[in-house]
Amino acid sequence: MRVLIAEDEQQLAHVLVTALKSVHYEVTAVANGEEAVKAAQENAYDVIILDIMMPVKDGLTALKEIRAGGDRTYIMMLTAMAEIDDRVTGLDAGADDYLTKPFSLKELLARLRSLERRNEDYDDDVLNFADLTLDNNEQRLEAHNSISLSKKETRLLQYLILNAGKALSIADLINHTWDDDDEVADATDLWINISYLRQKLQAVNSQVQITGEQGGPFTLVKP
Amino acid sequence: MDIYGPFQPALNQLLTNLQSQIKALSQAEVTAGRPKLYEHLIGRVKAQQSMIEKCRRKGYPVTTEGALRDCKDAVGLRIVCNFIDDIYRCLKLIKANPAWQIVKEKDYITNAKPNGYRSYHVILAVTTPFKDVDGNQPGKYYAEIQLRTIAMDSWASLEHEMKYKHNVQDAERIGRELKKCAEQLAACDIQMQTIRQLINQN
Repeated sequence: MRVLIAEDEQQLAHVLVTALKSVHYEVTAVANGEEAVKAAQENAYDVIILDIMMPVKDGLTALKEIRAGGDRTYIMMLTAMAEIDDRVTGLDAGADDYLTKPFSLKELLARLRSLERRNEDYDDDVLNFADLTLDNNEQRLEAHNSISLSKKETRLLQYLILNAGKALSIADLINHTWDDDDEVADATDLWINISYLRQKLQAVNSQVQITGEQGGPFTLVKP
Repeated sequence: MDIYGPFQPALNQLLTNLQSQIKALSQAEVTAGRPKLYEHLIGRVKAQQSMIEKCRRKGYPVTTEGALRDCKDAVGLRIVCNFIDDIYRCLKLIKANPAWQIVKEKDYITNAKPNGYRSYHVILAVTTPFKDVDGNQPGKYYAEIQLRTIAMDSWASLEHEMKYKHNVQDAERIGRELKKCAEQLAACDIQMQTIRQLINQN
């Protein structure tokens, strides 16, 4: 992972850089909010760690500016202020997590590992279920044959596989498949996509089936 | 050499007959209020030179017997359908004709070739009024029918063109990309068929 650290206390910055490098992260350290905004504009990072109290430009302002530029990088705030309101302000301004100073280095590293797991392991590129292989990156379904899936079919099937054998309601499936705020879909959209998937499962000669009538619920079942 | 010998006219006539019979099958469907069977129908008697090459390639005798008995696609037809369902509708009607005996079927739709090729091939033994290469009259002739959708057909055309361009750089990568196209076209075929079924249900 590539990590950007904005921390004005030199000694703490040094400790953080050393610790993160020791677990093979690529680390860049800057000393204030303004430098952080500039670095975030110029380079791609997986995580940005921002101290709140910094000279020239404070961490909260930097956070807002980074987000205003459309940057979606995972951002963790370091705060000396134990006030709940400060954490809330940070999270609402677009931070993903925070640590209250003084914090344990062990905990910071554990949080970064947790984030890595979330990014890599849990967002499985390839899922296997019975005779099926679903490649989420290629949007491709394979059993005896292979066929392309749309983005929505891929998401829908992924959710069905991760919850195989469970009866999933129409509302549940719509929420997980059309999960962006600006997306709208109704039960008919879902039904059309379920129908596509059923035909595609058949076309690749899979034994896996989606059971359920048009009114739901739907369940992915093994033969 | 003339590999078909005296049988060339019978082959031409068989092709014409099969084409009009298949055309009639589609017309009967339309008359009965169902969708037409296919979008287009093409056919050919394999060119002499290709037949000679094929016999050599397959190790068959380069003779009239080799061309009409060992090779079974001297007469070839291709039925190009709008929807996958239509392929199976065609097949059912072809199998119902008592004058046509199915001698071989290859389902490359259920079992797509590794390169992505999809099509359904059937070889028919057809009883004709003509004398055949074994001296029988009515005589037995073979014909191959390939059934596929428009999407499968357009993919096969492009792939065919590629196959004969030997100077293509990075042919393996192109092959992978073509296979992806085949999977996307197969997806479209399925989606359009599903839409037709959903319309019909309502």
